[in-house]
Amino acid sequence: MKRNLTSLLSALAAMSVLLLPGSAEAVPAFARQTGQNCVACHAGGQFPELTPYGRMFKLTGYTIGERTLPLSMMGVLTANKVKVADPAQGATQNGDLVFNTGSLFVAGKITDNIGGFAQITYNNYDGPNPDTGSFYGHTGSDNLDIRYADRLIDTNRDFIYGLTLNNNPGVQDVFHSVPAWGPATVPGSTGPGNGLTPILDNALGAQAAGIGAYAYWDKTVYAEVTGYKTGDGVFSFMTQGNGGQAYLKGTNPYVRVALTKEWGPHNAMVGLTHFDVHQYEADPSSPTDRYRDTGIDAQYQYLLDPYTLTATVARIHEGIDYGSGVPSATINSLRAKTSFTYQAKYGATLSYFNMTNNQMQESSGWTPEVFWTPVQYVRLGLQYTLFNKNEGVTDPRDPTGASILDAKSSNTLFFYVWGAY
Amino acid sequence: MNNVSITLALILAAIGTGCQTTPERSRNLNDPSVSGKTLAQQVCSNCHGIDGNSVNPNFPNLAEQQKDYFVDEIKEFKSHDRFDPAGFEYMWGLSRSLTEKQVGELAAYFAAQKNIPDKSADPKREAEGKLVFDQGVPAKNIPPCMACHGPEAAGNGTFPRLAGQHADYIMKQLTVFQRTDERPQGAVMKNVAHDLTPDNIANVAAFLSTLSKK
Ligand code: HEC
Repeated sequence: MKRNLTSLLSALAAMSVLLLPGSAEAVPAFARQTGQNCVACHAGGQFPELTPYGRMFKLTGYTIGERTLPLSMMGVLTANKVKVADPAQGATQNGDLVFNTGSLFVAGKITDNIGGFAQITYNNYDGPNPDTGSFYGHTGSDNLDIRYADRLIDTNRDFIYGLTLNNNPGVQDVFHSVPAWGPATVPGSTGPGNGLTPILDNALGAQAAGIGAYAYWDKTVYAEVTGYKTGDGVFSFMTQGNGGQAYLKGTNPYVRVALTKEWGPHNAMVGLTHFDVHQYEADPSSPTDRYRDTGIDAQYQYLLDPYTLTATVARIHEGIDYGSGVPSATINSLRAKTSFTYQAKYGATLSYFNMTNNQMQESSGWTPEVFWTPVQYVRLGLQYTLFNKNEGVTDPRDPTGASILDAKSSNTLFFYVWGAY
Repeated sequence: MNNVSITLALILAAIGTGCQTTPERSRNLNDPSVSGKTLAQQVCSNCHGIDGNSVNPNFPNLAEQQKDYFVDEIKEFKSHDRFDPAGFEYMWGLSRSLTEKQVGELAAYFAAQKNIPDKSADPKREAEGKLVFDQGVPAKNIPPCMACHGPEAAGNGTFPRLAGQHADYIMKQLTVFQRTDERPQGAVMKNVAHDLTPDNIANVAAFLSTLSKK
C-alpha cells in the first residue's frame, strides 16, 4: 500500500508539472482545433460521453475549427484488485498501481471535409510471457475513424452526409449505448467478467476494416450502412500489431438507424443495429462461423449547468451458427449505464451488465464508480464491480483447476488516473 | 507500415486536397474567405440554432440580438476580457481567428432572425418580474432595467436585447455580474445586480424569457 501511495504521488507530481500553464499547447488535439474546452464536446468534461455539439463535431467529419498540430497523448495508471486474485496475473490483479496503457492520437481536420482520429496504443500488460510468466508490453493500432462529411443546411433543411473509414464496428457511432463507447471504456476497467459478449462488443476492434456511408437528416433520423472486411492488405495499417488477425469472409454488413430528439436541456435517442458476420474459425481455409447480431439501444441526456446526466441502455441478441457443425449458440447482452457530473469536476456512474447464453458462461453485476476531474485533462476514478453471477471461473489456488469460484470472488476494486494531453 | 498502406495514405491525402468544399459549406474558422453566414449555419447553429433560437438554455438565443452588442461580445471573447466559465470554455477558441468582416456578417445574420420567446409558465412570477423590469427595486436603489434595455427589452446598440432570452441564461449572467468580475464590460450591470435577491433574479428572468414584442 505504501509503495502504491508513493508511486501515485510521484505520478501526480509528474502530471502536475506537465499541466503547468506554460504547457497550454499540450492540450488534446481536437480541443486545440476548436479552441474550446473539453466540456463543449464531452458532457461535464467526462470522456467519452458526447454532448449534442460533440456529436455534430464528429458527424461533420471533425472539421470544425482550424488546423493545428494533430497530435495528442493519453496515459492511464491503474490499480486493479480482484477479491480472489490469480497470482499468474500479477500486478494486473493484485492491486499494485501500474502504468497500464499509453496512447498516441493523430487527430484533427485534414481538409474542410475530411478529418479523423487514429489511436496507437501501448499496452504495458499485453500478456504474460509463457516461459517467464512476467508481463510484456506491446504496441498496436487502436480505434480509428477517418471521415469525409458535407452538410447542407439553411433555415429549411439540415442534411449531413458522409463516408467513414474505421476499424471497429460501432466506433463511428456518436452515442454511448454502443459497446465501442459504452460502459467500461476506461482502459483496464472491469468488464462483464467471464460472461460471453456478442461480436459487436469490440470483438473485431482493430481487426476489421470498414467503409460506410451515413446521413443525418434534420437532427432527427440517422442512418448508416458500413461493410467490414478483414483488416489486411491495404487496410493492414488499421490493424497493425494486434496479433491473431481475425479473418472475415467477404464484406459483412453493419446497419444502423437511430431517431433523435432534443428539447430544452434534454436530448434522447432510440436506435437499432444489425451486424451480420461471416468469420473464418482460423485462417481463410477453415470453416466459417456466422454471427447475427441485432441490437436495440437508447440514450437520454440532460445538460444544464452545472449538472449533466447521461443514461444509456443496450440490448444485443446474437445467434451463432458454427461452420464446424457444433450446435448453434445464442448470446444475449444487456448493459446499462448512468453517469452524472457536477461542475464538470465531480462525477458518479452506475453500470449494470447481464450476459446470458446457452454456453454456461453467464455473468451479471453492477459497477458503481465515483470520479474527480481536478483539471480538464486528468481524471481519477474508483470503481467497484460486484458480480451476482460469473460462471466458469476456476480457482487459481487449486492446482488441479477443478474447483469453481463463486461469483463474489471475482469482485474487483479498480482505481485509475487517466490523463490526456 | 508497409508500402501499400503508405500508398493508401498518400492517395487519401491527395483526394483530400483535391475535394475542398466550396467556401459556402466550410467549417473552417481560420479562413477569411468563408462568409459569416456560412459560419453561422455550419458552426454556430450547432448550439445557437440555425434561426438563432437555441434549444438548450445553456446557450443564449441570438435571434434579433443587437448588432453592436454582438460585435462587442465577440471582441471580448477574442481579447479574453470576458472570462465567465461558459464564455471561455466555448467562445474563446471559436472566435480567435474571426475577421472583423466575418463578425459583422455574423451579427447581421443573427439580428435578422426572428426570436421565439418561451411560453408563459408561471404568470405570478412573471408579473413580479415585470415590476422589477419596469420599476427596479427602489428600496434598494436598483434602477429599472428598462432604462437601459428599453421598454420592451429589445435592447439598443451595446445594450443587449433580453426579450425572449432563456431564463436559465439570464439567471446565470445576472449571477456572473453579481458575484464576479468576469464580464468587465458589464461593470454597470454589477452595480445593478448587486442587491438583487435570488427571487428577484428568477422573477425577472421568467418575465423576460416570455416577452415577445420588439
Ligand atoms: C445602466 C444601464 C443598465 C441597467 C439599468 C440594466 N442593465 Fe443589464 N446590461 C447593461 C449593459 C451595458 C449590458 C452589457 C454588458 C456587457 O457588454 O457585458 C447588460 C447586460 C445584461 C445582461 C446580459 C445579457 C447577455 O446576453 O449576456 C442581462 C441578463 C441583463 N443585463 C439584465 C438586466 C436586468 C435584469 C436589469 C434590471 C434589474 C438590468 N439588466 C439593468 C446595462 C444595464
